[in-house]
Amino acid sequence: MEKIIEILFNGLSMGMIYALMAMGFVLIFKSTGVLNFAQGELSMVGAFICYSFATLMHVPYIYAFFIALIGGIIMGAIVYQVFFRTMMGEPLFSTIMITVGLASILTCLAGLIWGHDVYSLNSPFTDKVIHLGKITFAQGSLYTIIVSVLLFVIILLFFNRSLLGISMRGSAEDSDTAQLMGINVKKIHMIAWALGGLMAAVAGMFLADQSFVRLSMSYMGIKAMAAAILGGMESITGAIVGGIIIGVVEGLAANYMSGMEFGNFHMGDIKDVAAFVIMIIVLMIRPHGIFGKEKVERV
Amino acid sequence: MANFKVSYRADTALLQNLWVKSWLIIFIVAMLLLPFLLHRYELSILIEMGIAVIGALGLNLLIGYTGQISLGQGAFVAIGAYTSGLLAGTLGLPFLVTLPLSGLMAAGLSLIVGVPSLRLKGLYLALGTLAFGFIVEYIIFHWDLTRGDLGMAVPKIGTQGFFIETERQFFYLIMFFAAIATIVAKNLTRTKIGRSFVAIRDRDTAAEAMGISLAKYKIMAFAVCAFYAGVAGSLMAYYQKWIVPGNFDISLSVAYIAMIVLGGVGSILGSVLGAILITGIPHGIVYLTDALRATYPHLSNLVVDLKLGIFGLIIVLTLLFEPQGLVGIYRRIKVYWKTWPFKY
Repeated sequence: MEKIIEILFNGLSMGMIYALMAMGFVLIFKSTGVLNFAQGELSMVGAFICYSFATLMHVPYIYAFFIALIGGIIMGAIVYQVFFRTMMGEPLFSTIMITVGLASILTCLAGLIWGHDVYSLNSPFTDKVIHLGKITFAQGSLYTIIVSVLLFVIILLFFNRSLLGISMRGSAEDSDTAQLMGINVKKIHMIAWALGGLMAAVAGMFLADQSFVRLSMSYMGIKAMAAAILGGMESITGAIVGGIIIGVVEGLAANYMSGMEFGNFHMGDIKDVAAFVIMIIVLMIRPHGIFGKEKVERV
Repeated sequence: MANFKVSYRADTALLQNLWVKSWLIIFIVAMLLLPFLLHRYELSILIEMGIAVIGALGLNLLIGYTGQISLGQGAFVAIGAYTSGLLAGTLGLPFLVTLPLSGLMAAGLSLIVGVPSLRLKGLYLALGTLAFGFIVEYIIFHWDLTRGDLGMAVPKIGTQGFFIETERQFFYLIMFFAAIATIVAKNLTRTKIGRSFVAIRDRDTAAEAMGISLAKYKIMAFAVCAFYAGVAGSLMAYYQKWIVPGNFDISLSVAYIAMIVLGGVGSILGSVLGAILITGIPHGIVYLTDALRATYPHLSNLVVDLKLGIFGLIIVLTLLFEPQGLVGIYRRIKVYWKTWPFKY
């Protein structure tokens, strides 16, 4: 019993990280129509920025955290300004491929700057646990869940209450009409990218706190894409729920299915592909996700 | 002078005019003579290029002609390579049997992800193929038969004393298949199938209204793409003689995408040009860093890291500044000289 609660709790905190990344996808996809394949790479760079300040330069963790947040915002805005400002209305292929290319460039640059080793980030929560009866929680996981939930609430309020959020929803709905209504769509797109970058950086730092800082962190981005698909690609609540489902399923798979053998097939670290299997199953049976709506197409 | 055609037949002819025919003959003669003029290293680069041409052609038929995006070409190459390795290694089947079987295997497995994704539009196939790529990599790593990280030996081609072993023999073999792949792809685009692909790319709703079965042609395009990838993988396995899963990760898929983006999306010539350049660029960098090694000794270590970044940069810059790729530049120059000294 204690074990399953621990597994669920850890899965939940991992799921929050996926949810943060998936929200970044959804934010950018909804408002600009670009599916950002470089989200995981942005996370990785965010985590590396935090690592450079917190561990290498011994800046207090909380400052490093905010520096990385600002770094994420700036990265997102730069990506939009350099690559996507002129790409409005270009075919889907071009926009997707630019983000794929960007992902390779970011990995290459991060490899040149920080190298290919595995680093650990020194945060105030490293190796600290909370005991609750027989159950043991990592302090970092608890902190991840609290901050993520706070962020979710802020983002949901932002989209439902603030003028900027509402105009973002408007331009996501129909950018031409939004433009006619006097909304500066280009500015909105840049803000969406900046927010996406922020989400990525937060997710990257939490992830680094739970495991390590390294280049292959960026694979998390593609797993988070499974979460976004599961949630329907266009819904922020969907992204959160999708992320949590992926995180919990991964946790369960890691604990109960790893190391199993079927004939001459070793399951090994099944955790790594659980998200992808879910993604393909979702595409097969419910392609518009749990919260997505089927689109009616006009000729 | 401008191209005047009086019949539809002449317009779709494979070899448009004498000019093209003579260049083609020069090219074929050069290809036949090259193995006698070049060293082994240079030949090995050309062989790599030939294999890449096959994979890039398949991907371009899917992305460029049908407008469906796949990020999993590397996975299908892997399926082809491992199918060949397993069939030839454990069952001892000859090359001429394993090669088509590898292609068919890749095409068959492509339906797992293709059929559900192709019911939908746009990016769903991209996501499905991406996920599929990771799953294939995982299975290769964890299946005893494929021996994971250790890699697998692939037997030689040939029987009873005659083996294809030297670079020269491999060059002829692979160029033969690359030529066949090019002709088949080119011919496919001239038939009803190819025109249906283009119609689906340009506007699928209109294509469906005209009586083109979307599901059938989308799946056909995807299966053809996977078949090409499987054949490329099979040839790669035989040529490399030893296959490890690390050769077929996501960076291979990115490299294939870079090929068709750089060469020109929706062009057979573009796929060939792109495959040649993208395969050649890392070797070019190695060559340059070799020359600079005396002054910067750490440079050559960087090349491996730089490769993927350079491919990414090529994709981004091409899409931003020359979305038609090299073929677009070629067409512009051709039109310029054709109408010179007039503007149009």
